[in-house]
Amino acid sequence: MLELLSNFAHTTGIYEFMNSPWGWPTAESIHFLGLCMLIGTIGVFDLRMLGFGQNISYKDLHKLVKFGVGGYLLNVTTGVMFLTTAPDQYIFNPAFQTKMLFMLIAGINMLWFYATTSSQVKATEAALAVSNRAKAIALVSLVCWSVIIVCGRLITYFRPPYHWCLWC
Amino acid sequence: MAIVVGINFAIALRLIGWVPQFNLGPFNRFYQIHWVGATVVLLSGLGLLLAYPAKALTNPVFYLKFTALSIGLLIAAWLQKQIQSNRLRNFATAKIKAIAALSIVLWIIAITAGRFLAYTNSVLLASRFF
Repeated sequence: MLELLSNFAHTTGIYEFMNSPWGWPTAESIHFLGLCMLIGTIGVFDLRMLGFGQNISYKDLHKLVKFGVGGYLLNVTTGVMFLTTAPDQYIFNPAFQTKMLFMLIAGINMLWFYATTSSQVKATEAALAVSNRAKAIALVSLVCWSVIIVCGRLITYFRPPYHWCLWC
Repeated sequence: MAIVVGINFAIALRLIGWVPQFNLGPFNRFYQIHWVGATVVLLSGLGLLLAYPAKALTNPVFYLKFTALSIGLLIAAWLQKQIQSNRLRNFATAKIKAIAALSIVLWIIAITAGRFLAYTNSVLLASRFF
């Protein structure tokens, strides 16, 4: 697994770029920008579903989400760059593992939203509240992204070999 | 920081016209969250500055970040005032669009400078000067 990831970084030039003088901080800056786009769009939409900003149209506000998807793609791209450049610092890192777990939950939550609730939310009048299920999905999404941000910051402080995964 | 920048991004995108023309008036509630986030950013930033003053104050990137952050927050306060007093009815003006675009650029500078701070410091402890 580690070798596979490392080979990918070496053969694609990612490793070389990330180990250049400004490679790592540049990727970090883009990663954080992506995160801000995500929170500013998906996070704002989640808050709207929870009752903030009453009278803003759900349908119109949902159109911000495409920028959140753009931010997510930036995060995945730069995240793959970090992971493949130093796989041993991530794979065995409990903060990274927790981050991935909550990304999985956020992903399932999003699929659940689009499979069951999104069209109903977009059709809801701006002055009305959305269903309890939509509110629960919004809350799970906000909690997941908050944990993901915190774990992302904690990765630096739980680097192997000083801190190894507690549960493996 | 993600809350502050994210909400500013959303409002700027709306003012530039890249997202639908939804009613900005109710967005004031999001500004409340924005200012809570800004307070956390300023307090945690102050804590980091007090912990390693020489590291930050000897690094030009710190001043770049601080300037971008300060102007970004001033623009946010000004836009909030305009929205509250309903002066942005005619928000599609070139001036408002330019200010919104400037806001996005400033937040990108603040984030990038913030990340580069960790890699550009030449001094860590003030004891070096004594």
